[in-house]
Parts: sequence; C-alpha cells; structure tokens
Amino acid sequence: MDIVVCVKNVPFTQEADLVLEPGNKDVRKDNLAYVINEWDNYAAEEAIRLKEASGGSVTAVTVGSEEDEEVLRRCLAMGADRAVRVDPGDVTLDASVTAALLAAAVKPLPHDLVLTGVQADDMNHGVVGPLLAERLHLCHAAVVNGLSVNGSTVEATVELDGGQEELCSLPLPALLSVQTGINEPRYVSIMGIRRAAKIDIEVASPDSLGLFSADLTPDLTLEEMYLPPETGAAEMLAGDGPAIAARILAIIREKVGGSNG
Amino acid sequence: MPIERTYFWGIHAVPVFYVLAALSVVVFLFGVYRRVSVWLSAPRGRPRRLGFSPRGAAMVAADGLLGRRLFRGDLVAGLMHALIMWGFAGLFVGTVMSTVDHWFVHYLTGGTYRVFSLCLEILGIMLIAGVLIALVRRYLFRVGRLENKAEDVWILVLLAVVALSGFVVEGLRLAGQAPATEAFSFGGAALSRLFSTPARATAAYPYLWWFHALAALGLVAYFPFSKLFHSLAAPVNIYLAPQSGRFSPGAEAGEGDDQAASGPQFQFNELVSLSACTRCGRCDAVCPSASAEEPFSPRSFIAQADAYSRAVAGSAAPLGRTARHLLGRPAPLPGVPAEQSWFCTTCRACLEVCPVYIGAFKPVGRVRISEIEEGSGVSPLLTKALETLYTFGNPWEPSKRQRTGWAEGLEVPDVTAGAQAEVCYWVGCTTSVDTRTQKLARALVRIMAHAGVSFGTLGQKEGCCGDIARRVGEEGLFEEQADKTAGIFRRYGVSEVVTSSPHCFNLFKHEYPAGAVRFRHYTQLLDELLGQGRLAPLAPLDAVVTYHDPCYLGRYNHVYDAPRRLLRAIPGVRLVEMAHHGPDSLCCGGGGGRMWQELEGEKKLSEVRAREAAETGAQILVTACPYCLIMLEDALKTAGLEGRLAIMDLNEVLGRSLGLLGDEGG
Amino acid sequence: MAEIVVLAEHREEQVREVTLQMLSKAGELGRAHGHRVVAALLCARSDGLVGALEGRADEIVVYEDDRLEHFDPDAYADVLGAFLAERSPLLVLLGHTAWSMDLAPALAVRTGHPLATDCVDVLLDGPAVKVVRQVYSGKMFARSAFRSAGSYLVTVRPGSFPVGTTSGRQTTITRASAPVFSAAAQRRFAGFRDSSGGGVDITQADVLVSVGRGIGDQENIEPAREVAALLGGALSCSRPVVDKKWLPKYHQVGTSGKSVKPKVYLALGISGAFQHVAGITGAGTVIAVNKDRKAPIFRAADFGAVADALGVLAALKTELLKK
Repeated sequence: MDIVVCVKNVPFTQEADLVLEPGNKDVRKDNLAYVINEWDNYAAEEAIRLKEASGGSVTAVTVGSEEDEEVLRRCLAMGADRAVRVDPGDVTLDASVTAALLAAAVKPLPHDLVLTGVQADDMNHGVVGPLLAERLHLCHAAVVNGLSVNGSTVEATVELDGGQEELCSLPLPALLSVQTGINEPRYVSIMGIRRAAKIDIEVASPDSLGLFSADLTPDLTLEEMYLPPETGAAEMLAGDGPAIAARILAIIREKVGGSNG
Repeated sequence: MPIERTYFWGIHAVPVFYVLAALSVVVFLFGVYRRVSVWLSAPRGRPRRLGFSPRGAAMVAADGLLGRRLFRGDLVAGLMHALIMWGFAGLFVGTVMSTVDHWFVHYLTGGTYRVFSLCLEILGIMLIAGVLIALVRRYLFRVGRLENKAEDVWILVLLAVVALSGFVVEGLRLAGQAPATEAFSFGGAALSRLFSTPARATAAYPYLWWFHALAALGLVAYFPFSKLFHSLAAPVNIYLAPQSGRFSPGAEAGEGDDQAASGPQFQFNELVSLSACTRCGRCDAVCPSASAEEPFSPRSFIAQADAYSRAVAGSAAPLGRTARHLLGRPAPLPGVPAEQSWFCTTCRACLEVCPVYIGAFKPVGRVRISEIEEGSGVSPLLTKALETLYTFGNPWEPSKRQRTGWAEGLEVPDVTAGAQAEVCYWVGCTTSVDTRTQKLARALVRIMAHAGVSFGTLGQKEGCCGDIARRVGEEGLFEEQADKTAGIFRRYGVSEVVTSSPHCFNLFKHEYPAGAVRFRHYTQLLDELLGQGRLAPLAPLDAVVTYHDPCYLGRYNHVYDAPRRLLRAIPGVRLVEMAHHGPDSLCCGGGGGRMWQELEGEKKLSEVRAREAAETGAQILVTACPYCLIMLEDALKTAGLEGRLAIMDLNEVLGRSLGLLGDEGG
Repeated sequence: MAEIVVLAEHREEQVREVTLQMLSKAGELGRAHGHRVVAALLCARSDGLVGALEGRADEIVVYEDDRLEHFDPDAYADVLGAFLAERSPLLVLLGHTAWSMDLAPALAVRTGHPLATDCVDVLLDGPAVKVVRQVYSGKMFARSAFRSAGSYLVTVRPGSFPVGTTSGRQTTITRASAPVFSAAAQRRFAGFRDSSGGGVDITQADVLVSVGRGIGDQENIEPAREVAALLGGALSCSRPVVDKKWLPKYHQVGTSGKSVKPKVYLALGISGAFQHVAGITGAGTVIAVNKDRKAPIFRAADFGAVADALGVLAALKTELLKK
C-alpha cells in the first residue's frame, strides 16, 4: 500500500513568550525553536506503522523552505521512503493555497492513503487535509483517532465532541486527518536523522508543478495580529507553594462551603 | 621396580586412547574457536590498541590467579574456588608433565618422581575438597545468590568423578602392582587397602582406567561448551578491565555507518565479558534494582545477552549458514532483554564486586543504543526529554531563557558577557531549573564568593553536557551536545570547570575528548579551599549526619574522603556511616536515565536507601548530587520518613555553617 | 439585504449547541446590517429538530431525505451546493466540528467560495467580510479579510458566541427537495460509540482537581487523586494526559471529553488550550496554577498562580493531611 503523509515544520510556541513583529502581521520567529507539528508526528507514525505491518511505501511531503527540510528528514529517519518539499517561494500561504500546492505535488505520487494531521499548531486551520482530498477527488474523514485498513477500504473512528465517536468506512484511495493520541510516536534518534540526511529530498516549486499565481490566490489576507484582550483577568495569588495552597484551600472552602478541605 | 611413573599398565588398545584423546582435544579446540569467534564477530573486531598492559597483567595475577575478589565477603567461596582452580590446573600441568615424560624426556624418576607423585596426590585432594565444599554450599547451606541449575551440579559432579576415579584407579593399580615405595601416593595407597586381592584389583583396573580416561576426556571436550569456559575468558576480561572500566562507546561507534544495524552491536570487550560470567550472582546481590525486586537482574541480563550474541554469531558463521540451508529455516534468535535494559541505574556496583570484572551496565548501554535507534521501545517521557534536550539544550524545560532563573537576586559573573574568572561553574540542567536543586547552586555560589574564588558561569549559553543522552544510548545527541559544550569552553577560554553534578563531572573528565580543561566536582574544590583555610568561620552545627556517596562521585571517581573531610570540619557534626557506604554505597535510583522513565514500582529502590539512612539514627542525610537529592527527598516522603530525617546537600550544610543561607532557609 | 445562512448541525435527533450560538450571532449581524437569517436543516426526520430552531431564524429551509440521515460530506455538499447556487447568500456559517471540517472544504472546493475556519468572530465591515481567529497555541489573535467573492464560508469555534434566546419573530419553514445526488455514497456510516463512559462521572463533582501536561509524570497523578478525594471531589484532566494514557478518557475535560460545571475547578499544569477551556465554561470558580505566566488558562480563570503545579499539589496534600 502506498501512503503519502503531509507534514509541517512549525515554531514551538506552547511555552514561549511571543513578541509581535513590527507591522503586527506576525510574531518574531528568530527566537523560536522549530519542531514537527504534533498532529503530523502522529500521522507519520501511523503511516510508518501501516507500512511496517503490510509493506508498501511512505512518501512524506511538506510545503516549506529549505530549513523546513528537517521535518522531512525526521520522517525519513522514521522509515519513510521518499520525501518531497514544495518550495512556495514568494507565494502567500493560507489553507487553500497550501492545499493547492500539496495537491499538485501529491497527484503524481502513488497514493492509496493520504494522512495528514488534524491541524497545524501555528495557524490552526484544521482543513488543509480535507481541502487536499477534495482537490484530489479522494474520499475523506477528519479528526480520526483510530483506523484500520481492510483490503480496499479503511475503517476509521471519527472523534466527535463530548466523548462520542463515529465509526465509518471509506473506500481507498482516501484521505484521513489524524488526531493526537492515535498511537505512540516512536523516538527518532539523531543517528537516524543523520543517516537520513543522505537521502535526496525532491524539491518542487509552483512553476515545476504547473501552477500559476492565479491558482494560488489566498482566501484570506491577514490584516492584523494582536495579543488577546485581557478580559476578566484572573486575580493572581502570590507566594510559595504552601502559601498558594493555603489560599486555594480558603477559596475552595468559601465557594463550596461545608466541611470540604 | 624402578621408581617412575607407570603408563598404560595393563591397558590394551592404547592407540584407541590416543584417538579418543585427539578427538576430545579437537572438540575442545572447536568449542574454544566457536567462543572466540563470537568475540571476533564484533563490528570492529579486536580493539585497536592491544599492547602490553602492566596493570592488566597485575590484575590477572591478583584476581585471576589469586582470586582476590572471590574472598570478599565470602571467605569460603574464595577458598573453595582456589582449591578447585589450583587442584584442577595443577593436575592438568601434571598430565602435561607426564606426557613429556612418557614421550620425550624420561625425567620423572627417583626423587623427582616421588615429589611429583606427592604433589599430584595433594592436588587431587584439593580438587575433591573444593568440590565438596561447593556441593555443600549449594545444596546443604543453600547460599542465596546461587542458582543451582543442572549445569552447576553436573560440572561439580564431573570434576569430582574425574578426581575420585583417579584415586580409585591409582588404588587399584597399587593393589595390583604392590610396589614397595608408593607411600608418596598416599591417597591411592590408602584406597588400595580396600581392595581384597591383587588379582581382583588387576582385573578391575582396566575398566576403571577407561572410565577415568573417558570421564577426563569428556571433561576436556565439554569444557568450552559450559561455564568452565570462564577459566579462559576471565583472564582475558580481567586483563582488558583497566582499559574498559568505563562505558564509552563513542570511540568505537557509528563513524559513517550507512545502515542502521538491527539489534545491539556488542563490541569485543563486551563479548569477552559476556562469556566470562560464572553466574555467581554477586552482582545481583548488590544491584539496587534487583534488590528492590524490579524486573532486572544483571546476571540474567548478561546471560541473555550472551545467548543472543552467540546465536547471532552462530547463524552468521559458515557452519550456522550450512545448518540453516540443510534445515531449511532460520532459527529464531533468542530475545534481547530490551525492556529490562531501562532499569539499570549504571551505578557500577556490579563491576565493583564481580570477581572477573564484568560490568552489566556495559551490555545494557549497548542494548539501549539499539533501542534508541529502533525507536518504538523508548518511553514517551524519555522521548519527550530527549527531544526537548535536542531543541532547547535542557531535558526539563522547553525554553532556553529559564537557564539562569536560579540566580535571581544573586550577583553571578557571566563569563560569556566578558567577566574574568578562573573557575567556570557549570551549573547543569537539573540544578538550574528544578526548584529544589536551584538552592544548591545558590548555596555554592555564596560559598565560593565568601571564599574569594574567582568564578563565573556561562549564563544562558550553558547547554547540556550530554550525560543523559549518553546514558540512555543516544550517541548522536551526546556527540552534538559534547561538540557544542567543548566549543563553548574553547570559545570563552575556560581552563577550569567545577560542577554541581557528579554526572556532569564524570562525563567531562572521562568521556569528553581529552583537552586542556581541568574538571572537578564541587566537593573537590571546597575540600581544597578547606585545606587553604578559606572556608571559615565554620559555626557549630549540632547534628548527627550521615553521608550518601553518589555513584558517579564515589565508585566512578573514587572521591570518598573530600566530602567527609568537609563534614567533619564543621564543629558539632557527628558523622555516622550507613551500612552501605563508600564503594558499597547504594544507588539512589536517579542515574542511568531513570529520571525519565516511568518504571513501575520504581519508588522502592530509593526508599531502600532512604530507610538505610534513617536506620543510622542520623538527623540529616547529606548528599552531593542533585539527582540523589531529588530522589532521596522524594523517597523520604513516600516512605513516611520525613519527620525522622532531613535531607540536605553538602553545599547547604556548609552554607548554613558559614552563615550564608539566612534568607533561603537552607 | 442579503442572507446569512447557518447550517443546523444535529446529531441523534438533537440540535447541537453550536448551531444555536451561530444563529444568535447571525441574528446580531442581521439586525445590525439588515440581513435575513436562514437556517439550513439537512436530515432524514425533521420533526424534533425544526422545533428547536423556531424563533431563532427568519427562515428554516428543510431538506428531508433518507440519504441525509447520517453525515456524509458528499451528499451534504451536493445539497448545500445547490442551495448556495440558488440563493447566493452573503455568509454561510457552519460549526467548527469534526463533520464540518469535512463538509466546509468540500463545499469550498466545489463551489469556489473562500473559506475561513475555526473563527471566534465574524465582522461585516462595509462590503468586506472579516474574521477573527486564534493562532499560535491560542496566544495570538489574527484578524483577516476575505478575498472578494459571491458568498463567504465560515466555520465557527463552538463557544464563541452565546446561545441567545428565541426572539418573538416569525419563522418561515420552507420544505425543499434534495437535488439528485452526484454519486453513490462513498463514506459509509457504521455507528456511534461513547468513548467517555465508565468509571467516575466527573460531571457530578462539586470540586474538580484537574491535571495537565504540567504535572510532569504519571506518578504525580496519584497525589492529585488523593487531594481530590480529601476535598470531597473528583480527579479530571486535559487531553494530553489521556493521550499519554496516564488516565482513562472518562477523566477528560474539553471538547472531545466532557463539559463540567463544578463549583470549583482547580487546573494544575494545564495550559488552557481552547479545546479544554470550552469544557469549563460552566464552572463556578476556576483556579489555575501554571509555570508559564502567559498560559491561556489564566484568561479563563478567576484566580491564578504562576508556580510549579507539582509544588502546589504537594503543599495542598500536606495541608489537607494536617487536619
């Protein structure tokens, strides 16, 4: 079975202090570390596991600059066979443009199953996968937290809200956007990545894919990025662990009443 | 009758004996070849430098020949082994001498022969005595650490049978020949009296002779296929011990490996050590993990690794390939003990007691390297820690900024900002970000300032020394961190480094490429300051304290006295020792990457040590390592000992005595 | 005057709350700019569903067809595509849910209309339609403008708008017939499953001690459980804890877990990603402890402490055991 997995290199923002760039159209990224998008890591692991179980190939694809190739090297180190990078050049990216670039790159690749992450940690659109599927005329399901391939169909569990799940099946070729927790991603060793550095990464561009700027008009243009408004800020408790604990217990006692705590 | 050795008295078909003997020797040599070819199957073959090592030779003499370590803690074992070893070796030499006498130079005559004969008697009795002691220890007294497998009893029985039958045969001959001057063969002479008539003895003799011959030849043939092979492997392992006391795979590992090899790639030294094991179990007895009943046993780890490497070498060898062709299928390889490998704390207690100098942590390290390569067997917590280390230079915090947070409010010169300093204080990942251990850094900085030491830190440029990467088998990440760190030392002209953590210290000193930088642990620096009178005035602290020797400071680097001198220098401090101290110190459980594992029941290991500390009746448990502090402080809580015993780092104790920790609370 | 269409999302005969939130916002926009609010209902049986929508829109267009019983992006996109072609609304709102993450792209690619997803606000600024979204782990807001088009597709983050009330207005109900479907169904529905069941029912607790990634290690879950018990409450957690398999799913609070309304919600080491915060909107008092002073959880909390969750947890345990 031939699998294509789409991955993205994103800045690690979870525990970073973000500072806006002058112009307020983006944050300063020079002081941020880059990592593979967490959802895509699960997707890549799932792809490799499917390959390990039933043979076939895995191709990793990303849209990004040369520095973003490290995310492809990681996939190669995990066990992917091929890696393709689409260099967007000056093109402004949004979900729809990214999907268009990916579609052009993935189309000529053998693909029985395409896996993407549900969303990227930076822009959080959540729809590049399904947009890509639509452009490739693939059947698709988003937010999948479990899947198994049976011959020419894939059975997927879709994660709905409130703890409910939907079970469905789709004919291959199909695209699934994969949710965190679907598996436990393996550790990728530095040696493995170094070895993967010897594998060539194929680079494509909008030109080489036959796309014109008319095909790549973004749906949205960013006007301004700003810090979240401090609505109803929390009352901060000061002191060390025990002092904070004491105050927390006092608050609980007050709000809950009775003999708790 | 001439006074000389009798050969083949009354034995017909002597050529048959020689054929069988030749066969037995061939089998023996084949067995040895099989074992040695496993050693040579190591990816990089023999170690590059195999020159003469005087230290190695001295150790072979002391431990191989005299069996020095065997006597430790178990005099009877030492005696038993000496009896068996010297008895057997002596008898072997006797056989060689006889062969020379019979075939080449007839020198065993007259007085020479009498002395020779007497010696052999003594040696034979030594061997039997040794075997008897062994049997009694195993099956009557049931010494705990011994396993008592089938192989154990068969070897002992075989040895006893060979020796006893030798005496019986001799007795029969003496009864049959009745020479006048066989008093020197007192054993045989004594036995000979048991046999009724010379005629009966003569009749029985050939049978017993062949029995004894076959038993002896069988023993020779069986030798390399059994535990007895250790007699050949152990001296080699002991000889190599001084060079291979540390696990430093870097020099041998993956330079330009194109293919990820599957399975652990044991190196020459490790393969030798795997075959030298006699399963005596001393390692299990001192292993903190095994003693805390975790699913890890250094002994069985070694055995499994040995079986694995023999199977791998066997299936690759011509004979093995032929066998597979004939049988038409590959034999499944025995499992590599991968999951267990994560339990080892790398404390080196095993190496400290092993009579043949096997350190189980070395094959453990090798298995970890292959697990890291493979990736799926790595715990998610460790995965996260390594990835965080790779991206942020710290396994704890995904942020480079937090590195200097510990120094808030203190004036700490930053060497990277141009401060001039003689000593570079390497704070370390854990010490700089963990809220508890940050206090160690603050205390040390105050002490050094008080003593007038010219010091500075690397500020935010301090990365990770790479210890955790190396200990868990991430060689690539270790190399990167080591390169970065060595580069930083060079760039800022650092010539002397002092660390809080014994792990950083050990790694820098022994596992970084040799350079011009001098590395010390803080206890060594403070000890020097104490000697110079610069750690003063030390106000009295009325307390009974006990000191926990960190594995990487004590066993790995033999720094036992400096911390104790520092403690004793404080008036009013009374130092009591735990049952296991110094080289016997019990690991706290934090090393070997265990901080980043989620091992079931892992608390128990630390609690064992915590209880031992409490049993001394001390009021304060003093440590000199941030991991030890974290693990033991936690263990005191989970074992419910918080009220009985407080735990402090040596920095904090000294800081308190020097009156420097007022607002910190120590 | 233009039309604002809201796709009424429903499941197992119940209209989802996000639909009501979107209708409320659509109503607000409609009143401000003079637009009509139309709810589009695609289903197999409309009886119960129409009732929940009445009074909240000017018109409900009902497509009742067996083929629409279970969600299928192709069938739904066919229907809505035809609807959009016919009515050319200004704005189409869908909830940002797993189903709409399939449907909205299908609609966007097939109709060519631009799409903005996971929006927390929609603005009509003259002729321009703008959206506000959260980016970078919820730490930044971004306001973007659509390229000019006939209709604009927007998926809305659940919880962004209030549910609103039924106004007294008249709702016209239009029954429309589904177009001929372009192809046989590809995605087959096989059933629903409740993954959050079993164990403790965290929705019933008065006090929830909730742990997140910041709790560090699986072994720190137990002290949290003890503290919860000492407080007479229950233990809950955020998604990463369940992903790591430290706790079973029934402890999970958030969009893919449970919504809880305890009197006090104590969040230890939880960053406060919106998916989690969405689950505690009904909580009485939220107390958050996190090492990162910029963690989004503090925006959702009543009290906060920038501290190590483990240290505070240990101190809580000590304090409680003293009594």
